[in-house]
Amino acid sequence: MTEITNTVIEVLPRFEGYVYPNEAGPHPLWGFLIVLYPYITGLVAGAFIMASLVRVFKVRELEPVYRLALLTALSFLLCATLPLLFHLGHPERCLEIMMTPHFSSPMAMFGFVYAWYLMAVLLLELWFDYRQDFVRWAKVTPGLKGALYHALTVGVTDVSPAAVALDNKLGWILSIIGIPSAFLLHGYVGFIFGSIKANPWWGNVLMPIIFILSAVVSGIALCVFNYMVLTWIRRRPLDVRCLDAMGMFLFYALVVDAAVEGLDWLHRVYSAEEGFRVLQYMAREKLFYTLSIGQATIGTLLPVLLLGSLQLIRRSVPELVRKRMYFGSAFMVLVGVLAMRWNVVIGGQLFSKSLRGVMGYKLEFAGVEGWLMGAVLLSLPFIILTVCIKLFLSESLPVTEAAHAAGDPRLEPEEVVTT
Amino acid sequence: MKTGVSRRNVLGKLGAAFAGIMTATAAKTAKAAVQKVFVSSGAPKGYDPTKHKWLMAIDINKCIGCGLCVEACKKENNVPEGPFFRTWIERYVIPKPKPGSFTTRTEAIVDSPNGGMHGFPEPPVPVGEIEQSFFVPKLCNLCEHSPCVQVCPVGATFDTPDGAVLIDPNYCIGCGFCIQACPYGCRFLNPVTKTAEKCTLCYHRITRGLKPACVEVCPSEARIFGDLKNPVPDDPIKKFYENNRVQVLKPHLGTEPRVSYAGMDKEVR
Amino acid sequence: MPPQIVRLVLLTITIVGSYLVARFFLTPSSFGRYGWYRGEALEELSSRPRSFAGKKACEECHSDECLKLSKAEHHGLSCEGCHGVGQAHADNPDIKIDIRTFSECARCHEANPSRPKWLKQISTKTHYPGQKCTECHVPHQPQEVP
Repeated sequence: MTEITNTVIEVLPRFEGYVYPNEAGPHPLWGFLIVLYPYITGLVAGAFIMASLVRVFKVRELEPVYRLALLTALSFLLCATLPLLFHLGHPERCLEIMMTPHFSSPMAMFGFVYAWYLMAVLLLELWFDYRQDFVRWAKVTPGLKGALYHALTVGVTDVSPAAVALDNKLGWILSIIGIPSAFLLHGYVGFIFGSIKANPWWGNVLMPIIFILSAVVSGIALCVFNYMVLTWIRRRPLDVRCLDAMGMFLFYALVVDAAVEGLDWLHRVYSAEEGFRVLQYMAREKLFYTLSIGQATIGTLLPVLLLGSLQLIRRSVPELVRKRMYFGSAFMVLVGVLAMRWNVVIGGQLFSKSLRGVMGYKLEFAGVEGWLMGAVLLSLPFIILTVCIKLFLSESLPVTEAAHAAGDPRLEPEEVVTT
Repeated sequence: MKTGVSRRNVLGKLGAAFAGIMTATAAKTAKAAVQKVFVSSGAPKGYDPTKHKWLMAIDINKCIGCGLCVEACKKENNVPEGPFFRTWIERYVIPKPKPGSFTTRTEAIVDSPNGGMHGFPEPPVPVGEIEQSFFVPKLCNLCEHSPCVQVCPVGATFDTPDGAVLIDPNYCIGCGFCIQACPYGCRFLNPVTKTAEKCTLCYHRITRGLKPACVEVCPSEARIFGDLKNPVPDDPIKKFYENNRVQVLKPHLGTEPRVSYAGMDKEVR
Repeated sequence: MPPQIVRLVLLTITIVGSYLVARFFLTPSSFGRYGWYRGEALEELSSRPRSFAGKKACEECHSDECLKLSKAEHHGLSCEGCHGVGQAHADNPDIKIDIRTFSECARCHEANPSRPKWLKQISTKTHYPGQKCTECHVPHQPQEVP
């Protein structure tokens, strides 16, 4: 009997070397859903940072995407908890995290950081930004939609210059609070992994920083992607000046991100601590496609080259080519950051904590942790974003002064830079 | 206008607070009643967790790799079939260094077919080429600074006053964070209950004065178990520490396991 | 005070208040009795059913066998290690322990280079193959010949 079980275990190619018996299950404990969780949260944080470039750092070129970035952040934030919730063994007990949060657990703080970020930062900033629009739209829009706008004013219908000025001031303060909050939101996600000292792939002080930087990168890329898709759907001219600015920020963020990730690798290779051999083997064999090709080549090298060359020779590149290069880079960055999350989450579970063996992983199609579920969860924020755009960035709504001031992709770009 | 709003508010709040207090009292009474019924339904009488400190120790020199402990643990604790173990036995086979290589210790070949539950087949190396070979029983290391307890988001896993590290199966949300945090691979997600599970030192046995199932069936006294606060004459735990030089698993992680091993080799981790 | 601020303060009070109320009701009553966990869990976990009765329970009825065993080389062995789980049998002696759950001698004594040298080991392939162990050995008194 023993011999039979042994041969069966040997035939299955899932393990090489020795793994602890409890690690020999059919799937890693944290699957594709937990890959999506830091990915989506990162997009939120990044999109918010992108929006605050306008509000706090007064980057006027980016005004056309200000509201789009905030709505993107909101749509993704609303979905950020779903992958976590679905992967729980007992989703019905999820409220315990809020009721009896264990303060030494980085995961317990999630409920609070999330609630703070959603309600105290993002929703409030959106509200202050939109309030006078809501008041005006409520007057001109009939039916259910009008009622919705009316409800969203929460009964504050004062649109006097003094009230609007207060809105702007409070929105600005919220933006300033929002930047550290966005860092907190995603840095803490990095800390969930970085705090696991049992796992040499995760337990790393740089983990939160890497997560924040890659979040900024992915968030800007998502804004580029969304802005270009939205203008394409609406058959509107693109504000190339805005695109150039986003490309520039994307490039610099990418360079900083790549530098810090490179530093992380350099440190790992140089210090070559316990378990380095198994990590090395894993990076070479098990994670070759997602790490070397996905994360390093598609996610970092190619976009850096494309965007970097645009920084140097932007004026001599025709506009259409430039647009395509931006779109391509943004898309590659989005894929690359997803690959990076995969490498962290799945990679950390592909080797045994005995440091004597590696496991395999094949993504299934169906099931809670399968492809299909992942695709649904990834498209859900886009569906929410579509609804948000229909409601709050609709072309049929009157353009108010606030929208003008805050920037709005509905507006024609004031001047299209032609070179 | 403003004062009206605030007065209405204050009144409303007062009313809400009053209603809250009333319901809270009722709820508390109900809860207490439920708890009373529950406690009388079979918890051991007179067991005070603060008056005990349980501990297990492992003597590797004594383990014969029969797998009785693994089997007993599965039976006693309804551990599901498959790769789920609260305790297991690893076999270390250290081959002789190749002639002329001038190495002193080659990397061990480790295996644990089905957790060692049904014993071990022939070693993977011919008998003549084995330098050292031994069995290492593994279980929850009962860390002083348990990383699993530290990361549990809801307080469903905890250090008890009597020295065990337990999981509350009715409170665990099944997030798996503790399983990732355990450096020793001692935890697993039970596929039936969908909660994390691990060695409880057979808490339902030790609170009744029985030994844990693995200790009960171990034929060679490789597992030593005792109560530090209530030593018996000729206490096995005391004797174990007097007679052996002991080591813990992965000491560099600072988890300070309370389970110590006698006769451990550097290859064990 | 500006109306925005008033609304926000009210909203904050409502949210924080409802959180505190929810927390009051949804926190288990025994939470925090010993630490950051449900104190009741200790009682729940300790009241689970057992499968192994323990040697003491066996001794209550089978004291003669236990006495014999205690004088022989196998004195350290527990009854249920070889004879299988016995809680059901201890609760109701009419329920016999299934003989198929008995452990065989070879489980411990089959030769294996990983086993410690002090353990007496034989290879069932060469040590009187085909014969039962009990033809020559008494399990409770391994030194005696039947």
